[in-house]
Amino acid sequence: MKAAPGAAAAFLLWALLVPAGAPRAQGKDDIRLEDIEKEIAQKVERPYSLGGFFEFQPTLFGLDRDAAFYRLRFLDEDEGATAAQYDLRLRLEGSYRKDIFSLFVRADALTTQGDLDSESRLELLEGFASLKPAPGLALDAGKKVVKWGKGYAWNPVAFVDRPKNPEDPELALEGFYLLAGEAIRSFGGPLRTASFTAVALPVDKDVNEEFGEADHLNVAAKLYLLLFDTDLDAMVFTGGSRTTRFGVDFARNITTNFEVHGEWALITDFEQAPVNERGQAVRRVKDVMSYLVGVRYLTERETTFIVEYYRNGTGFTGEQMEDFFRFVETSDTTFRSTGNPTGIRRAITLSEGAYGRPNPMRSYLYARASQKEPFDILYFTPALTTIVNVVDRSFVVIPELTYSPRTNLELRLRGVALVGEERTEFGEKQNDYRLELRVRYYF
Amino acid sequence: MRKIPLVAIAVLLAAAPAAALDGTEILKKVDANLQPESFESYRKLINVEPGGARREYLLWTLKKGDDKIASLFLEPASEKGRATLRLGDNMWLYIPGVGKPIRITSLQSVIGGVFNNADIMQLDYHVEYDVRTVEEQGGEYLLDLKAKSTTVAYDQLKMWVDRKTVLPTRIECYAATGLLIKTLYFKEPKAFDDGRLRPAILETDSPLYKGYRSYMVYARIKKRVVPDEVFTLDFLPRLETMR
Repeated sequence: MKAAPGAAAAFLLWALLVPAGAPRAQGKDDIRLEDIEKEIAQKVERPYSLGGFFEFQPTLFGLDRDAAFYRLRFLDEDEGATAAQYDLRLRLEGSYRKDIFSLFVRADALTTQGDLDSESRLELLEGFASLKPAPGLALDAGKKVVKWGKGYAWNPVAFVDRPKNPEDPELALEGFYLLAGEAIRSFGGPLRTASFTAVALPVDKDVNEEFGEADHLNVAAKLYLLLFDTDLDAMVFTGGSRTTRFGVDFARNITTNFEVHGEWALITDFEQAPVNERGQAVRRVKDVMSYLVGVRYLTERETTFIVEYYRNGTGFTGEQMEDFFRFVETSDTTFRSTGNPTGIRRAITLSEGAYGRPNPMRSYLYARASQKEPFDILYFTPALTTIVNVVDRSFVVIPELTYSPRTNLELRLRGVALVGEERTEFGEKQNDYRLELRVRYYF
Repeated sequence: MRKIPLVAIAVLLAAAPAAALDGTEILKKVDANLQPESFESYRKLINVEPGGARREYLLWTLKKGDDKIASLFLEPASEKGRATLRLGDNMWLYIPGVGKPIRITSLQSVIGGVFNNADIMQLDYHVEYDVRTVEEQGGEYLLDLKAKSTTVAYDQLKMWVDRKTVLPTRIECYAATGLLIKTLYFKEPKAFDDGRLRPAILETDSPLYKGYRSYMVYARIKKRVVPDEVFTLDFLPRLETMR
């Protein structure tokens, strides 16, 4: 694996130094209509497609050896101040269609080598068959991402999807095995579109076992309306694997460059078991609400701002999270001084559940500013993102540079700094910072 | 003495609607000559940088009626599967694997370069613009167009139209401030599948992107009417199945 970083660096150098396209004669571009027509004729009739990308991502982690999540992961081992990791990913996407039938597959082969982790795995992200007897009617069966909700960083109404990573919300998600039917109708007048989607999602010990309680067939449905130029959705989920939940969302362009969106979800009988500082859990069951409001604004200088506020009804309060961190501190001190692992083992189990999930608390603010092609540099986009935990005032700052020096090649350099006091969400994460370079070549 | 101004006013009142009507008719004819009301097309978008480097995109597009356009990116690989939808003033972009289609604005560009979303998902001109004045300039008409609403990407257009073919030769696009945003040049008239003669190449440059040029090359335009349901958000991920 040691060759991988070197090979990737050589590839990167080639990509940057070899000019894309031959120089043209001054003031004259070679646009030949006949050539383009021939090229298109060859490509348009194919019933199949195959593509994807190679990705190389070296990452440097700055470890926070005093943080709770560092101690939970490494106990009393000292991993040093920094750790490196190299990820190589091959993404394959293929499709085939014949008449009303089509197939789609998206899969990853990933290998990770680094100071902290080394693993290789194959992952099917999506793989499903579709029947489309009419343009307004479709049936899908297989592993699929359903994509409900209008939020950019979070989707509280995405009842049958995995959660996005708000630090990188555009990453492709892994789907669940399901059966989905969709009917669409268009109209004249203020109601332009109505569609209805129904989903059946089984869970047992071998299928969708991460979704929730096994041996249940869950069902979900969504009604979408484009009414008075506003996207509106209403959705419901019920089944034994998770409790029943209801949701609505909307999105609308107020002006051509200003969009507003929102989501609201009611999760019934939600069970939470926060621990006190001695690690004792108190089980509570109640209905909770989650919601999100957001805007997207484009300035005349092509700066895009995305701002979202997320109220996570399923999250912990500041006090509950502090109690958990106190329990980790006590358990860690006991383990170091007496060797008794009982407390720290329980803390590790808790950290693998609700306390360790992304955004485990109640209230978050997401803000991102990205500038398209500043200084007339085409295909270059710098961006700055922050995610603030409004409850404990800890936050993440993510500066990012994305550049595509040639067709199908994309480079992304980003830093992630986690800032927070003791016993705050981002202050107690395993890392203080992360530096990563992502090189993607699409084919 | 009183009769003369009254006559003049009457003549002006009679002449003004006539000029406006002529201009509108010319504009409608321009639209009809450029493309059928409902069609599918294959287009290549080419961005050329000052150094000569090129970036090319292949798009398949469906249009229906006055206000429905859906486009699918077939190339390059990095953009493949992306789809855009326009319903009147509403525009969305679907990126495979990412999530629900997101709303986008007419002044953004899904491809970078000089063409923005309004250029790529162009509606008929008469749908978005009123004709303010028409002038005859040699073998051409010069139409001064004003956007019907503030949601239109360019506030004003100056359109030069060939009097014989009633096809545009050049369009200057202005912001509300009077700033020239870009100029579109219509080139290489060619007979398409329906026998219609229309420019096959649309070239653009912009004082905002000095040295950069973009081309939109129409390779196929064919009359095709598909159900309205194709132009919906939920259908966007399935757009490929209509090719």
